[in-house]
Amino acid sequence: MATEAPLTDAHAKPNPAGPAIVAIAAWIVPGLGHLLLRRWGRALGFFLATAGLAVAGYSLRGEIFSPRSSDPFGALGFIADLGSGVFYFLSHLLEVAGPDLSRASGDYGTRLIAASGIVNLLGVIDAFGIARGRRG
Amino acid sequence: MRFHLSHLAAMALFALLVSVAFASIGKHTTATRIKYALLSFFLFLAIGLGVAWLMYPLSR
Repeated sequence: MATEAPLTDAHAKPNPAGPAIVAIAAWIVPGLGHLLLRRWGRALGFFLATAGLAVAGYSLRGEIFSPRSSDPFGALGFIADLGSGVFYFLSHLLEVAGPDLSRASGDYGTRLIAASGIVNLLGVIDAFGIARGRRG
Repeated sequence: MRFHLSHLAAMALFALLVSVAFASIGKHTTATRIKYALLSFFLFLAIGLGVAWLMYPLSR
């Protein structure tokens, strides 16, 4: 993991991309927002965590929630899944066999996919805060 | 790619990856991140196993 120095003047240099661009980049590709802000350690950490959870969830054949869910839990699941950005958009390539909830592994996979999105949304909030100068 | 995990292995995988994310947010240097991630990982496991044992009588 790359070393990231404590908050210093080096981090106070102007951000080349605006906060909105950073947030969108962080959502679409996990870690990209921090990469734009030159926070190498955080970028690597968020990419590894989001990718690991998403790929494990899809490999376990977890359920991918659709935007047309009829119940509130399905809608919340969709928001959580969508949080993983590119991993959600590529979900049908990563989980070609489709979900299998007849085994416990499929249920674990559903939770891991949702956790992947939530972890990436934390990264989006963190990157947005750094870009606005409110976080170290 | 497909694989199967036990409940414990799935919990450990979740704990490891979420701990990495928490350490990335909360700490600034590599050394403090590694320490924080390890502490968070073992606390996830310890609390998970503790809650499992507390719930054990309810399963019988």
